[in-house]
Amino acid sequence: MKAPHHDSAITHVEGKSIYIDDIPVNELLLVGKVVYSTVSHANIISIDINEAQKVNGVHAIILAKDVPGENQMGPVIHDEPCLAENSVICIGQAIALIAAKDDETARKAAQLIRIEYKELDAILNLDQAIEKNNVLAPPRTMQRGDLDSGFDNSAHKLSGQLRTGAQEHWYLETQTCLCIPGEGKEMNVFSSTQHPSETQAIVAEVLGISKNEVVVETRRMGGAFGGKETQANHVAAWTALLANATGRPVKIRLFRDDDQKITGKRHPFIIDYTVGFTSEGELLAADITLNADAGCATDLSMAILERAMLHADSSYYVPSMKVTGKAFRTNLPSNTAFRGFGGPQGMAGMEQIIDHIARYLQLDPAVVRQRNFYGIKDRNVTHYGQTVEHNRLHTMYDQLFASSDYAKRKTAIAAFNTGNEFVKKGIAITPVKFGISFTTTFLNQAGALVNIYKDGSVLVNHGGTEMGQGLHTKIAQIAAAELGISLDAIKVNATNTSKVPNTSATAASAGTDLNGMAVKNAIDQLKERITKFAAEEFNRRNNDSVSLAENIEIKNGVVFDRNDAKQRSSDFATIIGLAYLHQVSLSTAGFYKTPDIGWDKQLGWGRPFNYYAFGMAVSEVSLDVLTGDVEHLRTEILHDVGDSINEAIDIGQVEGGYIQGLGWCTTEDIKYDVKGNLLNHSPDTYKLPGIRNIPKVFNVSLLQNAPNPRAIRKSKAVAEPPFMLALSTWLAIKDAIAATCENQQEPPLPIPATNEAIILAINKLKTTH
Amino acid sequence: MAEKIIRYIQQGKIKELDLEKEQLSPTTTVLNYLRSSPLHKGTKEGCAEGDCGACTVVLANRGDNGKLSYTAIDSCLVFLPMLHGKQLITVEDLTTSETSGAQLHPVQQSMVDCNGTQCGYCTPGFVMSLFALQKSENQPSQASIEDALTGNLCRCTGYRSILDAAKLACTPDHHPDQFELNESRTLSQLISLQNNASDLEINVDDQRYFRPVNLSEALSIKKKHPECIVFSGATDLALRVTKRHERLYDLLDIGGIDKLKTISKDNQLIRIGAGTSLEEIRNSVRKELPALCTMLDVFGSRQIRSLATLGGNIGSASPIGDTLPILFAYNASVELQSESETRIFPISEFITGYRQTAKRADELITAVIIPLPSKEDQVKAYKVSKRKDLDISTVSGGFRLRLENNVVSSITLAFGGMAAQTTCAKKAEEFLIGKIWNRENVMTAAAIINHFFSPLSDARSGAEFRRIVAGNLLIKFWNETASNA
Repeated sequence: MKAPHHDSAITHVEGKSIYIDDIPVNELLLVGKVVYSTVSHANIISIDINEAQKVNGVHAIILAKDVPGENQMGPVIHDEPCLAENSVICIGQAIALIAAKDDETARKAAQLIRIEYKELDAILNLDQAIEKNNVLAPPRTMQRGDLDSGFDNSAHKLSGQLRTGAQEHWYLETQTCLCIPGEGKEMNVFSSTQHPSETQAIVAEVLGISKNEVVVETRRMGGAFGGKETQANHVAAWTALLANATGRPVKIRLFRDDDQKITGKRHPFIIDYTVGFTSEGELLAADITLNADAGCATDLSMAILERAMLHADSSYYVPSMKVTGKAFRTNLPSNTAFRGFGGPQGMAGMEQIIDHIARYLQLDPAVVRQRNFYGIKDRNVTHYGQTVEHNRLHTMYDQLFASSDYAKRKTAIAAFNTGNEFVKKGIAITPVKFGISFTTTFLNQAGALVNIYKDGSVLVNHGGTEMGQGLHTKIAQIAAAELGISLDAIKVNATNTSKVPNTSATAASAGTDLNGMAVKNAIDQLKERITKFAAEEFNRRNNDSVSLAENIEIKNGVVFDRNDAKQRSSDFATIIGLAYLHQVSLSTAGFYKTPDIGWDKQLGWGRPFNYYAFGMAVSEVSLDVLTGDVEHLRTEILHDVGDSINEAIDIGQVEGGYIQGLGWCTTEDIKYDVKGNLLNHSPDTYKLPGIRNIPKVFNVSLLQNAPNPRAIRKSKAVAEPPFMLALSTWLAIKDAIAATCENQQEPPLPIPATNEAIILAINKLKTTH
Repeated sequence: MAEKIIRYIQQGKIKELDLEKEQLSPTTTVLNYLRSSPLHKGTKEGCAEGDCGACTVVLANRGDNGKLSYTAIDSCLVFLPMLHGKQLITVEDLTTSETSGAQLHPVQQSMVDCNGTQCGYCTPGFVMSLFALQKSENQPSQASIEDALTGNLCRCTGYRSILDAAKLACTPDHHPDQFELNESRTLSQLISLQNNASDLEINVDDQRYFRPVNLSEALSIKKKHPECIVFSGATDLALRVTKRHERLYDLLDIGGIDKLKTISKDNQLIRIGAGTSLEEIRNSVRKELPALCTMLDVFGSRQIRSLATLGGNIGSASPIGDTLPILFAYNASVELQSESETRIFPISEFITGYRQTAKRADELITAVIIPLPSKEDQVKAYKVSKRKDLDISTVSGGFRLRLENNVVSSITLAFGGMAAQTTCAKKAEEFLIGKIWNRENVMTAAAIINHFFSPLSDARSGAEFRRIVAGNLLIKFWNETASNA
């Protein structure tokens, strides 16, 4: 059967899908604007809003002292004031809020607000933070095995460093929120958020009201990618403060440049490593330190660092391994969740190690990778104690190695490189093994509310949010399959905190896993009621007691007794209509928590993940050695999504994830000036992949016949894991650069491998050759 | 007598827009105007600078063949008066309502069928770019499809599905759509608008906006109001409104002057009217000026090129103006006109400094004159940018070489992005004159280039990269031109 399209596909192409900025609001609507710090670190001497207040059309100007509740919006640790009061710690930190009749008025007022600062020393990059040891929290470690003996037994030892850059989410829809005050203390919040429950909590806290006064609704987001997991809370809190102060609807839609300047990005990392290995390239010991630039506040940095540490092994068994994680505070906007959540950085470090070893031993990196994959029966326990079950790495490597014609192409590339001075080609194969679950174990829970109406139509509410990933489509498919009725009879509603409370963020790739199970749980309960009623109804019609609830099935919209499907059957809508008349409850809540997971965070040991998602990619590039220009010639991907619920959506996730990763690995470059001003604050100078940056040959397939026993309908999470497939491209570029020195040296290539980074790397190889 | 009513066609009807009456600024963008109506929320703002294409709409006009020609543009960069005399088509206009329900346009249906949409925010823009493509080309090549979509960014899909949708949408076997069915009616509406078109002059508060249809009128306005900001496509100027939120007071829009949009050729030279769009140039002079077209192929996006003009690009005299180095290499001249005289400057003398030109306040740039290079001349253009498309150069080069018996008899090495204005690497040129065009001499010259410039470090790259790559571009030029490289 052809996979159903995204449930909003038609309204999307018609331009009729409603995003926050498209919601019709009455003429009372005001525009909200954020006035933010223009210096990286300072004490605030004074704030003068007198002139601004006089501007005709300004309805409210709010400062920290005007916040009725708690002036905080940090999601985990309360170290982020909603509005700065006495000091500012980054450029982009909110200081004042303005509500005005329109944008122009708000801008005019903003220009008239005078803020006097006394500037303080600022830490504007990770190097400075490391040098000053400005740690955010005590360092963490995970260790298995004895490092000293591991290194002692190693024939070879190498050390090195990798730098990975920040990445801007660049969701097409910037952060947006609309707040409409209700009766009394009620606040209705329409937010482009991945985490409505947390948005609700933060809004309640800044307003000083209880959570039951706040309703947050999210119909859809125009992209999120982690950037609206906590950062959307900020915009919602600001909007709510203005709506509360004016008693009128207020909308804040961040201007693109403001969005890029204010909100956090993917954490830059500096990764230091020492690795011991045999002459065959077998890993024996690794000592890895992951240094993360957290920015000015905690946000989710500790969880991101943790996931980076949990992925520092990539897909390889290292008998003795120590991972140290350090998060540093800098005077830059607080970095935040972004697809992969530290995983890409952790894995990049290990893939760099493998490359370094391979080049040192003059082996094909593919061989070294394969040699070190986690084993099936042994060598299969990670550095944090979890056994890698249902390991698909070997199968996938074999399949992809053959289907991509890797060996032959590797030889052809070597020949090409010998014959070409100014163009070099490179190829790399890299694996993905990504742990699925929130590593903060209690977050692995979800709720749902399923309503069946008298006409047999079904409305599904669940805690997950739709950001384009097709969650609602998959959930509708799950509901239809579990209930046994057609997809047409199912509708998934906007996510709403008054329908399903206390939800977790739609994050960690777990949206379908968690919410799908919660929906199934609700449907299981409803089915029990319906089958019980149907048995009674069939018996009533036949005036007997032959039908038993356990023999009632629902399939293709028909309710029937499997022992007498001819006589004892009725369509779903009819049974539902009758059930209502017989006072059967047709609505229920569902709940799910992931079983059998848990680990000791302090020890860094246990089973943090429900399962692993696997992937494998081969990428080939052509590099103009003179300009650093890269052509993406060909990429083959084989990805593991278990039994796919929707192949079209899953392939879209894999392709989109890979290309987003490609951006992080190649063109998405973020620079600051010496005062901490973001230089790449618009798409003019911040370059995400365009349509001509995708591989010329781009073949994506899903691993077949690989059911996952640990998730809904034997599927697997997708979302984040494919992002890391792009490491194949980064390493293919490195392979091409290495060809400029006959593969004799390991090129010093950071992420992103921009044309600039490539040319500087080639230059460095030349000068040290 | 100039009039003040903007007339354009939307949804089959001629719309009349009186900005003075509505108290709307003449620099209101089409995007903001559309979105101010509850009926036109389909067009999205992604960046307000023409770098993402979420706001793409289509303008239809009468083409040279007498049929409708459809052009995708970024509505965030278009001022309302620029709609004058055209048909505006937005995403909402594509779907037709039938008795059987809403009927998607083939480009919309293809996007659905190929799963070309995820979060949906970029989708209306892609749909409109695809619509313009589908109306312009039957079974376009892969290259042409990609070219039509470089101005649209998608952060979700990875584009493959959108490329598939484009291929499916542009197959020739579709039933005629409503635009085809209504073509003759639309054409007669356009003709009536254009026949009656006269100069526009709009005054709202302290803002004044002129849109003359004749060059003589434009020159007269410029003489009377030398303070007027002159523009045609507004792809650069609009940023001052949309990004810097400036209020622009006196504006002279020369985009309505057909006379400035002509390209004429003879055996000696090509004369390109200053108001000719870069897309039009790209489609007209590839045979004669291939290196200029190489540059235009990666200039902005199709949306940008369809509005941006050569006059505008050189008039801004930007240090990184993408077309300038190659115009230096072609020895192009700039024609300036005022009411009293016509002056012609070699491009190198026209540009006098950082964003400075020799143009007087009463003058307009009217044409760029490019002498056809002789057969002995090799001319090439190079652009180094972080992303190939829709990115401004980090460094660009326009080179011209003449060899006699493999000895350099003349050479121009013009660079953009290396100094405050487009600059020739004089020392390297002098070094190479009279030298054999071989590796050794080129490597030496590349090192000279590397040391000749003191470029800036900025958002696009550091100075070191610029210096290395500038020298490397000469090596690349040699590699592509030397017989025995």
